[in-house]
Amino acid sequence: MANPVTREPSEQSVSTGRRTRPHHRFEVRSLGEVGALAVLIIVFFAINPSTFLSIGNIRTILDQAATPLIVGVGATLVVLMGAIDLSVEGVMGAAGMAFILTTENSRGSVDLGPLSFVVGIAMGAALGVAAGLIHTRLKVPSFIVTLGFWFVGLGIATVLFGTETIPLLPDGGIKAWPNETFLGLPHSFWLAVLVIAVGWVVTRFTRLGRFTYAIGDSEEVARSNGVGVARTKLYVFAVAGACTGLAGILATLRLGAGAPTVGGGVLFLTVAAVVIGGTSLGGGRGGVLRTTLGVFMLTVLTNGLILSGVDSSIQSGVSGAVLIVAIIFAAWPHRSRLRIVK
Amino acid sequence: MTRSTSRRTAAANARPAAGSVDGAPPPALRLTRITKTFGPITAVKNLSLTVERNQVVGVIGENGAGKSTLLKILSGLHEPTSGVMEVAGRPVQFRRPQDAVAAGFGVVHQEQSLLSNLSVAENLAMNALSSTDNATRFGWYRWRQLNREAAETLARVGAAIDPRAIVGDLSFVDRQMVEIARALRVDEQTHATPLVILDEPTSVLERNETAILEREIANLKSVGSVIFVSHRLDEVRRICDRIVVMRHGEVVADRPTGDVTEDDLFKLMIGHAAKADKRSDAGRTVGAQNLVEVRGLTRRGEYRDVSFAVRPGRCLVIVGALGSGRESLARTVFGAEPFDRGEIRYRGDVVSSWSTVRATRNGMAYVPAERRTEGMVGGFSSTENITLARTGARPRFVLNRAGQKKLAREWFQRLDVRPDDIKLSLQRFSGGNQQKVVMAKWLQSDRLRVLILDHPLRGLDPGAAETVNDQIRIARDAGTAVILLADTLEEALDMGDDILVMRDGDVTARFDLSVDTPTTLDLLERMV
Amino acid sequence: MTQQPTEQPTQRSPERPLTDTATAGPSAGPRRRWSALDVWTTVGPLAVFIALFVLVVSLRPAFLGGGGLAIVATQATAILLVALGQGMVLHVGSIDLSNAANALFCAIVLAQALGSFGGGAIVLVLVIGTVIGVLNGVLVAFFQVPSFALTLGTLGILQAAGLIVSDRTTVYAEDTSLLTPMFGTAMAGLATAFWIGVVLAVALWAMLRFTVPGQSLTAVGLNETGALFSGVRTRAAKISAFAISGLLASIAGIMIIAQAGSASSTGLGSDLLLPGITAAIVGGTAITGGITNPVNIVFGALTVTLIPIGAAALGMPSEAQSLVYGLVIIVAVALTISRRRVGIVK
Repeated sequence: MANPVTREPSEQSVSTGRRTRPHHRFEVRSLGEVGALAVLIIVFFAINPSTFLSIGNIRTILDQAATPLIVGVGATLVVLMGAIDLSVEGVMGAAGMAFILTTENSRGSVDLGPLSFVVGIAMGAALGVAAGLIHTRLKVPSFIVTLGFWFVGLGIATVLFGTETIPLLPDGGIKAWPNETFLGLPHSFWLAVLVIAVGWVVTRFTRLGRFTYAIGDSEEVARSNGVGVARTKLYVFAVAGACTGLAGILATLRLGAGAPTVGGGVLFLTVAAVVIGGTSLGGGRGGVLRTTLGVFMLTVLTNGLILSGVDSSIQSGVSGAVLIVAIIFAAWPHRSRLRIVK
Repeated sequence: MTRSTSRRTAAANARPAAGSVDGAPPPALRLTRITKTFGPITAVKNLSLTVERNQVVGVIGENGAGKSTLLKILSGLHEPTSGVMEVAGRPVQFRRPQDAVAAGFGVVHQEQSLLSNLSVAENLAMNALSSTDNATRFGWYRWRQLNREAAETLARVGAAIDPRAIVGDLSFVDRQMVEIARALRVDEQTHATPLVILDEPTSVLERNETAILEREIANLKSVGSVIFVSHRLDEVRRICDRIVVMRHGEVVADRPTGDVTEDDLFKLMIGHAAKADKRSDAGRTVGAQNLVEVRGLTRRGEYRDVSFAVRPGRCLVIVGALGSGRESLARTVFGAEPFDRGEIRYRGDVVSSWSTVRATRNGMAYVPAERRTEGMVGGFSSTENITLARTGARPRFVLNRAGQKKLAREWFQRLDVRPDDIKLSLQRFSGGNQQKVVMAKWLQSDRLRVLILDHPLRGLDPGAAETVNDQIRIARDAGTAVILLADTLEEALDMGDDILVMRDGDVTARFDLSVDTPTTLDLLERMV
Repeated sequence: MTQQPTEQPTQRSPERPLTDTATAGPSAGPRRRWSALDVWTTVGPLAVFIALFVLVVSLRPAFLGGGGLAIVATQATAILLVALGQGMVLHVGSIDLSNAANALFCAIVLAQALGSFGGGAIVLVLVIGTVIGVLNGVLVAFFQVPSFALTLGTLGILQAAGLIVSDRTTVYAEDTSLLTPMFGTAMAGLATAFWIGVVLAVALWAMLRFTVPGQSLTAVGLNETGALFSGVRTRAAKISAFAISGLLASIAGIMIIAQAGSASSTGLGSDLLLPGITAAIVGGTAITGGITNPVNIVFGALTVTLIPIGAAALGMPSEAQSLVYGLVIIVAVALTISRRRVGIVK
């Protein structure tokens, strides 16, 4: 996106040393986030020894985290390019509705069986492609395009919802799937793990992922290095749309009914998680695993506060405060009068 | 995919012309009457140059002699306005950097072109040909292979850099080595005969690193050709088979290394060994007190223990090559960069919490080298730019639009700014006229006391350069203290009253031109 | 956004400086093409609104007679105020995601306090809103954190604060007589409150165009480094932009109470945040900064409000409204977005 661009004056220090710092796959700073998560878990465990680390509550946390984790993978890719995707809530609604109307439901529209999953994901990917095309071809900033697609997605969902009865999933079957467990953990969480793993592999081992980082660092330099900037952007928006579509399906399954607003609140949560995890909004720095940490920090915090009897009203306030502290910590070492941050 | 197509054609172009008349292979590169103009400025004029196979050609020249433009043409960043470029006997046209790579050209630019958030190995693999490179075949990164290949490439240049290190974490020197390694790798990645172009690669390297580079260039000579651009004349003489001297966009000499001495090169490069005249302060308002005084100023990684003083009506010129730290020093005096030790005195008082805002209010002015990004607000009209500087106390809240227009018109006339449209946004003017407006922004203030100029003539046509220089002199004669980072040594001798020579962050010499009469050669020797 | 630091213009640079020879004659060819663009930048948002309005009226003439414009103006008031603040923040190249939540928080506080403090309550919320804006600005300017992430955090905190102050219910103001003239009286058929928004827009426009601080804001938005090297107080400029955004948000909060007499923390201002940003952008504001015309934001706010009202008036099924809204917004933005600074689009 055009706004949070961070540019530091290039340090052209004339070093005399010949030493190279060893490469850290996980930078030291990310230990801070792991530590913060650990501290949160320990504190809440100390306050609620009987409930917080119970099997039931762990399952709840993992199940709650699943949807934002899946959205977070796509959102991270987009932010790594220095762009932003604001459309997730609308796209989730559209994909969720497309899914539920093509699977077995109380309205009895169509039943495509497993293909309905493909329909839902394809809806997300198609919206992503459309947004990506407008962004790259018409040169409209991603911020605005995806803002528009929030409404477009929401609109598609509302049109699909129509004026008939609410489409409900039949009890049992796929509706129960997310909460059923495998190795003691809910399916929804395993699905998120799968998406995260794919996301990590893409960012780590594929040209698409590496080019995403390259574009985030500098579009100009990336282009002069032979990176197809427009094409890569389009692919990334498509992948992000597909992730969001899958998240929309999962959220619909968990709700058990079709609703255009199924993605409500997810945007705030994922963007905050991406930033808290340490992915820079300016692009080029961060990663999928970091966002996973960010999502868990926010989910554990919310869950722990509710268990501790804190009024749930202040949850968004706590998330907001954590976000602000996290970005101040991240920005502190780089302060310089000439640094331009937007 | 357009990329592979262009590669194929360029590779075909690079093949020797079928049935060449004589037996000798055609030269690796032949440029015939290449001209490149930017609007009114001719950066390269009728340049003809031949690089034979297995030859190292040195290109030397002062700043602004056209070397950079030549290199940009060779690397596909600029298309020449006219002229013919032949690679291995076939005419070629480089429309994009990839075309140059496909023709076997590997370039080390002065300004670095690495992606700072990726690892060294990735950067080495990331260029136009990465898609066919084994380690990233089908878009899949085989990290072990990638790192191993990178380690081999780095070992060739003798760099002890971990291929997995992130480029942004490396020192400037190490990044330079990565760039060099990438350029040298071109022969592995293309089937064309490599031509490696090095743009002042050694200016920040240490002796032992330079030695490694020299050895590597010698190796490269057996497989391809090299164009080597440098300031260090001893090095050029040691490495190169032939030396081409450029001045004002033209080739003024093209000689085998054995035929020229270092002194010859100096003179060819500068035109003549210009010598300073004795200065007198006649006709000027020279103050007795030091206006700006710097004592033991140090900024880690930039400059060490610098001291100097400037009086009103005098001009201090700081000369130094890339990495001398003089740019950072100038910015520190203007309050734009912090310092670690020492003190700055302004009008006798030690400054504290110095900033660009305070400096400006107290009558300091700074003309940065990066005009478009730092010197001006391109989206503003000239009028707005001229009146943008917040010099001195501002009683006004409301902009005096009529007064501003009058002022702008006055300065447009005085500096002969064209086009004569004070409402046009400044980004649409040519560089020379932009610089005139930037000068007017500071000169219009009646509170101007110190004028700091960083390469004020960079990229200017001779007419605009003359105007800017005249204005600097007028301001100086009226009692403004001037600190000038000059582009050329002639400019330094022409403008300066005192000259400070810096090398690698240290002051290596001082000349008071009312006493000393150094030549350009004297200065150059202490710079490099 | 990145400007080419190279000295000479490259073929790629979108705005090639004129060469001296090309412009030796008075107003050469390329100039006229650019001024056509300038004209569109100036009247585009108005044209888009008029086109939409004419479309609605020609299909449903009753819209004009039924006081359609008055309804649009009334509904647009809060959006306009929030959008004006957003426009000022966008003008310095930042973004304020918290200003709608700020407006709602102010509305809740006002609803609670109006009964007991009367006019004092109004002053109180004006101060609260401005202080929140200043805090945002200080954090952005001095801690150098990206405004997008920071104001997202502030948004969360304000949401929580709103929930707590309202105790999660709809808060009704006890006595709104003080505020009834806002929407109770009208000038030229449009509510007084809307005209207050228009007056503020004109005042901001005059500030940007005719005052020294306004020039500083623009300079920061166009090229912050360039402004800094000219001695402009760039941090003060950013803080004042956020302060204006906070102040206007609090006025928007007052208008919410004046119009509805109540405020609820549900919705959490998100139904004001997105229309606010959209109105600013449809009003021709560049999110890269430096190009904002507050007067055009008035038309942006009217357009954004007209879309759902007009769609309903045309008998469009309510479920399709969001879709229409999204598509029209994208088209309107693509038409009105400033193309003067395209470079690298992120």
